Amino acid sequence: MSARRFKIIVNGFAETVDEPTSLEKIVEAHGDGDLHAIVEKNGRYVYPQEYATVIVEPGDEIEIVHPDFGG
Amino acid sequence: MSCVRFLDKPGLFWKTLFLRNNRSGRVLLEARASAPLDRNGMPNSRVKDEQTALSHGERARYHRQLIMPEIGEEGQKKLKAARVCVVGIGGLGSTSAMTLASTGIGYLRLVDKDIVETSNLNRQVIHWTPDLGRDKSASAGEKLSALNPEIRIHAVRMEVTDRNVVEAVGECGLIVDATDNLAVRRVLNRFSVERGIPFIFGGVEGFQGMVTTMVPGRTPCLECLFPAGEDPPQKEIGVPGPMPGLVASIQAVEAVKLLLGVGTCLLGRLLLVRGLDMSMREVAVGRNPRCTVCSAVRRKQ
Repeated sequence: MSARRFKIIVNGFAETVDEPTSLEKIVEAHGDGDLHAIVEKNGRYVYPQEYATVIVEPGDEIEIVHPDFGG
Repeated sequence: MSCVRFLDKPGLFWKTLFLRNNRSGRVLLEARASAPLDRNGMPNSRVKDEQTALSHGERARYHRQLIMPEIGEEGQKKLKAARVCVVGIGGLGSTSAMTLASTGIGYLRLVDKDIVETSNLNRQVIHWTPDLGRDKSASAGEKLSALNPEIRIHAVRMEVTDRNVVEAVGECGLIVDATDNLAVRRVLNRFSVERGIPFIFGGVEGFQGMVTTMVPGRTPCLECLFPAGEDPPQKEIGVPGPMPGLVASIQAVEAVKLLLGVGTCLLGRLLLVRGLDMSMREVAVGRNPRCTVCSAVRRKQ
């Protein structure tokens, strides 16, 4: 039996993922390897140490923001 | 003799003043006083008249601020009594230093290690073509002295590290971050947390930027948001001329509000500035319980 799939929104674009998918997987796929990316789930900031344990749910909106460190 | 001030307990600002003999390290005098906090988490104190009385020239210069209910004479004196350190006199530092100087911050410390290069001139508006090859701190110091001779300016050419950060920041009560890399920001952040000195973070890249105001004990620190890991190698990034000025102006407004104790600062709010569609939005950020900097200081207390 295949895993249930559902839609989430990542940086404004719809994306279909398998259940269960951790936030860490999403960040790996969309974070461009940026270790300092700021990640929000449904408008709430998520600490980096929580990426592995936070599981995304149908309809979740994930924002990955690349920080600006230039001066 | 040196003077040290730091935050002892989150939520309550204790001013601790040491008079310390620099040679022996012996504490000669220690005085503590608690002060009520204003809405931005800063001690709400009045400044002493004899130190900050405004001259006729200052009254004329700051007239448009003196007629504001949020500033007025009391506020202008607070600004005059303030000591602010701007670290990095590049794109961000050009604008933050200029606007803080014109606003009448009484003491400005300008720290940068670099010299002015041709490729700086598209955005680092405090440095001009004849300044090529000069120390950035000296170039900026000279302009600011001409802009506002009423204030004291100290230009320091220095690369800030953990070893010299005390010397770099001096006895300033506020750090405005205008650096271009995470490594120096981490040094400044650790110093900010240890000493209880607010740190106004700003960064810019392309048409984007971000700003947040960090008050130790009250907001997340830089390390909460960007836990130390492998920092990206410093790369050359594109920055259009007006963008650093936009971001640095926001930082300077934050600094002025924090010093005055008015308005609401970007506390626990990371402001994202997007120049391309000219929009701003915020990310609500909290203290990271696993932070190795601000949580470690909290545990020590």
